[in-house]
Amino acid sequence: MSASQAGGRKALLLGGSPKPEKSSSESLLVYLGEQLEKQGAQTETVRLIKAVRSEEATAELVAALAAADLVVLSFPLYWDALPGHVVRVFERVAAARAATTPATRPAFAVVVQGGFPEAEQNEVALQICRNFAAAAGLDWVGGLAMGGGGAIEGMPMSKAGSRVPSVVKALDMTAVALAAGDPVPDEAVRLMAKTTFPAAALRFMGNWGLRSRYKKEGDGRGLKAKPFG
Amino acid sequence: MGRSGTKTALLFDGRNDDDPTLTLLHTALVDGLTAAGWVVDDWRIRDEKMAWCSGCFGCWVRTPGECVYKDASHEGDERASRADLLVILTPVTFGGYSAEAKKALDHIIGIHLPYLKKLGEDTHHPPRYHKRHDLLAVGTVPAGQGGGVEAETFRRLVARNILNLQPGRQVNAVIESGTGEAEIRSRVRGLLADCGIRAPEPEEVSA
Repeated sequence: MSASQAGGRKALLLGGSPKPEKSSSESLLVYLGEQLEKQGAQTETVRLIKAVRSEEATAELVAALAAADLVVLSFPLYWDALPGHVVRVFERVAAARAATTPATRPAFAVVVQGGFPEAEQNEVALQICRNFAAAAGLDWVGGLAMGGGGAIEGMPMSKAGSRVPSVVKALDMTAVALAAGDPVPDEAVRLMAKTTFPAAALRFMGNWGLRSRYKKEGDGRGLKAKPFG
Repeated sequence: MGRSGTKTALLFDGRNDDDPTLTLLHTALVDGLTAAGWVVDDWRIRDEKMAWCSGCFGCWVRTPGECVYKDASHEGDERASRADLLVILTPVTFGGYSAEAKKALDHIIGIHLPYLKKLGEDTHHPPRYHKRHDLLAVGTVPAGQGGGVEAETFRRLVARNILNLQPGRQVNAVIESGTGEAEIRSRVRGLLADCGIRAPEPEEVSA
């Protein structure tokens, strides 16, 4: 399908971060949504921390999902997997779709970012998403995995993009592909996994950022405190 | 929790409901650990009032080692910090843990230090405490799917989790729904043995 033919494609964007602000996952999702709109897609965004609050809210999500051509989820890596509230939404969505014969099979793509520099640490989480897609009757079209997500610091990509230029390129390429009904390009996967700085530098910067934040917000016991040790 | 000299297992009971196979596994795990002299801290998560982790990292940068929430999640860091063995019991959920199990797990990252450190091949968070945490994860899948993709994903997930609990070891198993009680008890004894825990045979107990 060409881009012009794809005009008006309905994209449902799912925010998987539980944080209302300063979320790197949200920054990536917002930017990808903007690029999809530039490609002619109509976007709607649902924050899963709100959708998980009641069965009714999840039912609304299930309906929105059924009406979409494309669903994109962005989330942070927790314990090598997805945050608990996203799993709860997955459970409910899969159960709801299994209880009926869904009339549509939307495409499903994922963006995951973790604090560790190595993007491959997100692989199991991507496979869980792929398994969910199979269970929920969605058409898996690929996932982007980013390491060193802390580099974004929850800033809009208009500010953070210069820190992670390969990530911006990956999202641009992905938007073009998804809007055209194509899967996530292999080149975008490669670019997304590419960090601007070596892993050792990312660890240094990440640890420096932690100490700085502790100086501002911490309780004075020290980052290495052992309250139960 | 944790009388002096005894070892403690924190059991993350990730059951969403009273699934019969998971319930048999739960009983077998508690019985096996108890018979081996362990204290079982049985955390039935679905009964708890606990918010989803908000990703605030307060347990790392505001009150290090302790969740900033004052609900059941606040106890999670303490319970996990005192445990020698973390046991996760869960329906295999798309290859991962159930939402119930994951809700509690997300709240105990305070047992790690926030620092990024190269441990082995990759970057991980070093342990906050000197205590070693082993990990036993037991999941169930529908009958006939023990060799399926979700079971394989689950095994990969547990293997990755232990990299953040170094130097602990991990043992995992995927049990098919409908497995009988005798086989479940036998499998659990084997799993505990793999964790270095010898649960007496039933005949030893009765003798």
